Amino acid sequence: MSTLTDRYVWGVMRAVPTAQRRDLEPEIRALVGDAVEAREAAGEAAGAAERSALEELGDPELLAARYTDRTLALIGPRYYPDWRRLLSLLLPIVVPITILAVGGAGYLAGQSAPDLVGSAISVGFSVAVQLAFWITLVFALLERSGRPSPRRAWTPDQLPELPTGRAESPVGLGVAAVAIVIGALLLAWQQVGSPVVIEGVGYPLFNPDLWSFWMPYFLVLLGVELAAILWRWRAGGWTWPLAILNLLTNVAFVVPALWLLTSGQLFDPGLVAAMTDLGAAPAFDVLGRIIPVIIVIAVGWDAIDGFRQAWMRTRAA
Amino acid sequence: MTFDEILSGSLQELRRGTVVLACLLLLREPGYGYALLEQLRDLGFAVDANTLYPLLRRLEGQGMLASEWNTQEARPRKFYRISPDGERLATELLADWGRIDASVRRLAKGGRTA
Repeated sequence: MSTLTDRYVWGVMRAVPTAQRRDLEPEIRALVGDAVEAREAAGEAAGAAERSALEELGDPELLAARYTDRTLALIGPRYYPDWRRLLSLLLPIVVPITILAVGGAGYLAGQSAPDLVGSAISVGFSVAVQLAFWITLVFALLERSGRPSPRRAWTPDQLPELPTGRAESPVGLGVAAVAIVIGALLLAWQQVGSPVVIEGVGYPLFNPDLWSFWMPYFLVLLGVELAAILWRWRAGGWTWPLAILNLLTNVAFVVPALWLLTSGQLFDPGLVAAMTDLGAAPAFDVLGRIIPVIIVIAVGWDAIDGFRQAWMRTRAA
Repeated sequence: MTFDEILSGSLQELRRGTVVLACLLLLREPGYGYALLEQLRDLGFAVDANTLYPLLRRLEGQGMLASEWNTQEARPRKFYRISPDGERLATELLADWGRIDASVRRLAKGGRTA
């Protein structure tokens, strides 16, 4: 029957290159033997002495690694900063773009909403996992390639820019606020002014029935956005609560807007009928598919950007 | 972190390099792994078996120690002994130890410059 020592020695040897085994094996046997002997001389029972001697030497694989100077980290301190920089640069760019691209393509191909969400999520997830895996693998191999690090020496030029104290310029915020007010006025004006003129008849752009609920709803949403801009100005930039509010208002806008658009309730029925008479129905169809994609990309980016900027500010603080 | 944890961490840092010097000096007399471990512990160097043994082998590989199997006794043992290069290394390390000791003592007395 093999003893614990035999098994321990085997455990060390299989983690050591063959060339070192011949010499190392008797050495480790002798070390264990001496320790057992000393413990027995101190009054320990034979079995217990062997056990505690091996416990003192610890995990055979760890011991073998110490004998052979093998790396015990997947990515050590030499490469860790580069690995982290690369991952945190690529993941937030590649993954959202992939999700939007897959979602957009699926939508244009006429996929149903649940399929669309399902494929966007699964492709986004697998792209994130693949990206992380391959980057990590390359760095793990670099770590083990023994050659002195090929990486450029760090220079002060690589320092990130400081986020300026009042990161957001008041001008940009002012423009955003004015755009919201003008948007609200346009919404009201298109109804009263019937600006779309086809063959001498003026039509409003949007369905007048929407004024019973949806138009006031969107106007309130614009009011909330305006308040959020004022808040952003007072806070000096994005904060986490603001980013969350921004996400919520974006969802509250996109979901009904897309529903109204796809169910044909958004535009004025008179206008749609007149356009159809003009033979513009196919163009309308394509527009009806492309516009939602653009809306989702723009709004999705806006929501992500809020979190990104809030994150950058908290990191800088 | 309690004071005791900070203390034991700092002591470990402080003593890390001294094990090499202690080994070299002890091995002016030939010795084998387990006996060396016991001697170091008696002298107050808290060193683990799985740190000391690979260290001996590394010093041997670097030519600072020489080794020889002693097969006279019941069980064969590998005896290490300091080499001429190891003697030079020990002398340099001892000199540096003296300089550090002198500097630390001067600092402890409130001195700032050499």
